[in-house]
Amino acid sequence: MPEHSLAVENASVSFGSGSTRVSALTGVSLQFAPSTLTLIMGPSGSGKTTLLSLLGCLLTPNEGSVFIQGRNTRLCSAREKSALRRQEIGFIFQAFRLFHSLSAIENVVIKSDISGDAHKHSRKHSRTLALDLLASLGLDGKMHLKPDDLSGGEKQRVAIARALISNPKILLADEPTAALDSNSGRQICEILRRLAKDQHHTVVIVSHDPRWTSFAGRTVLLQDGRVIEDRRN
Amino acid sequence: MRLAWSNITHDRVRFAVTVLGISCAVFLMIFQGSILLGFLRAASKIIDSTGADLWIAGRGVQCFEFAVPIERRFADLARGIPGVRNTRRICISLVQFRKIDGSQQQVALIGADTDSGARLPIPPLAGSAAGSPSGSSMTVGPQAVVVDSSNAEMLDIPLRLPLDVEINNQRARVVGRTSGFGSFLGSPYVFTSYSDASRYVGLPADQTMFILVHVQPGFEIERVKRELQARLPSVEVSTREEFSRRAQIYWTSQTGAGGAILAAAVLGFFIGLTVVSQAIYSTTMEHIEEFATLKALGASSGYMVRVIVAQALLAGLAGYLLGVLITNPMIRAARPHIPWISTPWWLPAGVIVPALAMCALASILSVKAAITVEPAKVFRA
Repeated sequence: MPEHSLAVENASVSFGSGSTRVSALTGVSLQFAPSTLTLIMGPSGSGKTTLLSLLGCLLTPNEGSVFIQGRNTRLCSAREKSALRRQEIGFIFQAFRLFHSLSAIENVVIKSDISGDAHKHSRKHSRTLALDLLASLGLDGKMHLKPDDLSGGEKQRVAIARALISNPKILLADEPTAALDSNSGRQICEILRRLAKDQHHTVVIVSHDPRWTSFAGRTVLLQDGRVIEDRRN
Repeated sequence: MRLAWSNITHDRVRFAVTVLGISCAVFLMIFQGSILLGFLRAASKIIDSTGADLWIAGRGVQCFEFAVPIERRFADLARGIPGVRNTRRICISLVQFRKIDGSQQQVALIGADTDSGARLPIPPLAGSAAGSPSGSSMTVGPQAVVVDSSNAEMLDIPLRLPLDVEINNQRARVVGRTSGFGSFLGSPYVFTSYSDASRYVGLPADQTMFILVHVQPGFEIERVKRELQARLPSVEVSTREEFSRRAQIYWTSQTGAGGAILAAAVLGFFIGLTVVSQAIYSTTMEHIEEFATLKALGASSGYMVRVIVAQALLAGLAGYLLGVLITNPMIRAARPHIPWISTPWWLPAGVIVPALAMCALASILSVKAAITVEPAKVFRA
């Protein structure tokens, strides 16, 4: 599937066994193209987070397949999936998931450490890259602050810088504005829209936040683990 | 490495407790190791201080302190063996030492012929420096005894000497002090000439306890030993090194003393292991969501293992340094009570290996918890 950087094909996921078995996703097929910000919406329990976990190689479907840059992840070992997450995917989480003991810049550089880029290029290069990214996200004066000293919007921008430092083609965001005030939320929406539009990232966002509909190029609606609507905006 | 250091120092109180636990374990390992080493050295100190190449002792004698009488004529027979340069006698016995206040103290009286060993503190000639080794042609002052400085207080020996005392109700005169011969038996060593010792002890003239054999230069010690053993089958002939090792093994393994000391050192290791395991495990569990994040971001298991092991080793290194710093003054404080304690430089240096091994071992449980964490957890708010 060369035209799609990311795709799920007839994917089903269920949890538990026997009478307690719950189906989270049933026969979902979706393709995500570069330069598009896709918004996945749906009520609680509709399977949004399960779908995001599948796309991020954090879960394996019981049936069906997930393709990342054309590679079927079903055929990948755990080590290869980790490598895909390091190289191809940037994650942005609702709870930010920053390392509390590290400063803003260290939180960004750690992704390079994990990816081995810090050794490939030199730690200095990674730091310069992190400084540029944080500055471009409006955090120039806050590079050395720890997460506890940053506002919610600032934390999320650090998380975006962390997601971007290894230059992944795919960005997956789980409720990225849920913990933010309206102004910070709008800024994050704008940043992610620009990343899709100007830098040709494939951006997939799971959110309940209606503000996203005006920023998204496509909206997918899930209900009871099935796609009930797939709309281009 | 940065994440590891930040993780462990983020909670300073926990870090301090961890480092303190490790330093206690390091201190215990060095301290008990010093006691064990000192004990080993003390157990063979008298044997090692003689210049003898060979020791002739009663059959089955395991150490110097528990001797049995042997016939004195064996010395004459030994001198008839080719390669034997000379023989000397040495004996030991527990005797009663009457202090100046009239109270009695049991001491281990050691008597040796002059020339028995340059490092053996046989009482010197009157006028010589107290405690100096006896020279090759020295005659020993009559009734003269020497005590170790570490036991002077126990025996009420003042700084000004000589001091008249009684040994087994016979007159004796303390003429000097020596050092480095603190007894590990509980009964202080008192040194005198062989003739005085045999008199104090009541050793018959035709008996002795050990015969020290000096081998002529150019003769192979092992060969002389074999010939002596063949000629004297009713006694046991050993090289000095063999007898020294036998005494060390006897005191450490057969009396249980060494086992107890070794057990305390091993206990130190396990106390440290428990403290570090608990601390590293709770630090890991406290940061388990961060490990899930690392995994979600694509960190390999190897990366997570490196972070956790680095946490343990950094804590271990800090604990080790503090432990070594604590040990030095503690050993100095213990020396008056345990004069034979011995801490060669390589002991604290070498303890870094078990200390870091202990920390690496302690991280095993944490590693398991971190690498099996569910990465999809990161999507839960």
